[in-house]
Amino acid sequence: MGLIEHRFDDNIITTTIDRVLTWARESSIWPMGFGLACCAIEMMAASASRYDIARFGAEVFRASPRQSDLMIVAGTVTKKMAPVLRRLYDQMPEPKWVISMGSCSNAGGPFPTYSVLQGVDKVVPVDVYVSGCPPRPEALLYGLMRLQDKIRKEGTVLRRERIILSADTEPTLVGAVSGSALARALPTRDRG
Amino acid sequence: MRRLARFFNSFLLIDLLKGMWVTLKYTPQPAFTFQYPAERRPTAPRFRGVLRLQVEPGTGAQTCIVCDQCARVCPDDLIALGVHREAARKIKVRDYFDFNLARCSFCGLCAEVCPTKPIKALIMSEDYELGAYSRDAQVLRVDEMYDGVEIEHYAR
Repeated sequence: MGLIEHRFDDNIITTTIDRVLTWARESSIWPMGFGLACCAIEMMAASASRYDIARFGAEVFRASPRQSDLMIVAGTVTKKMAPVLRRLYDQMPEPKWVISMGSCSNAGGPFPTYSVLQGVDKVVPVDVYVSGCPPRPEALLYGLMRLQDKIRKEGTVLRRERIILSADTEPTLVGAVSGSALARALPTRDRG
Repeated sequence: MRRLARFFNSFLLIDLLKGMWVTLKYTPQPAFTFQYPAERRPTAPRFRGVLRLQVEPGTGAQTCIVCDQCARVCPDDLIALGVHREAARKIKVRDYFDFNLARCSFCGLCAEVCPTKPIKALIMSEDYELGAYSRDAQVLRVDEMYDGVEIEHYAR
């Protein structure tokens, strides 16, 4: 997608293609099985028949990063595991997303120690943080739907500049050159 | 003799039909899958979801007396309380109540020590749908912490 991503102006062909590609992306997110701790049990429960993550098109847990779109980091990331995690992330083909599942991978959880990475966002960019210790399968599905929302707003081939604003999101600019007029006009969020 | 039986088993597709019968037996049963965004599973009575502040149901008055016990008991120091006293009034006035959801392990100690009666100011609610796009959004301020605050639900 690197050649055509965010390169086209709006017209009837490109917007249609954009919609189809976005739909394809959001409804077949193949995750990589990246269970590190107890959150992985809930991740497995979400993929089993009771909760059935296949309803969102994300049932194909690949063992190889080359075939996956989404990395669900489920569990405590130790500092020994961190370079491996980064390497696996680098091996995933674009477009790729990361869901950080559980308190441990969100921020280190109850382990503020020398051996635990304090948040997986220190090594890979995280798209959705799912809180919980561990999150129940529904919460993971909720996180997946949040990610689908994000993919829908990102777009694929269009150059159009869009501001993503959500209830608890910082404004993110997608598909724009940095330093553009819109980027400068973005409201800065002041949170107390 | 045994070879003959094996031949007829495979020739008349007996083995295949046996296998298909197992599939067929499960077909008329209702689906086991739980259609999550459409139907929500009730939580267990002792379920511990995200931390919420309660106000008095009739008046909407604050029940939190800013005793700081929850902040002290928290094993990961996730709660920060700001307080000041006004000259004329006796009670303490709360400036801020920040809760760092990112690290929380939902142990429930904070809700356990909360001393206000009959309505507990701090409870473990039944909300579990927590998905933030950024790390800053996981620090909950007072206005995001009240019980019954809007959560963006999905329906399909």
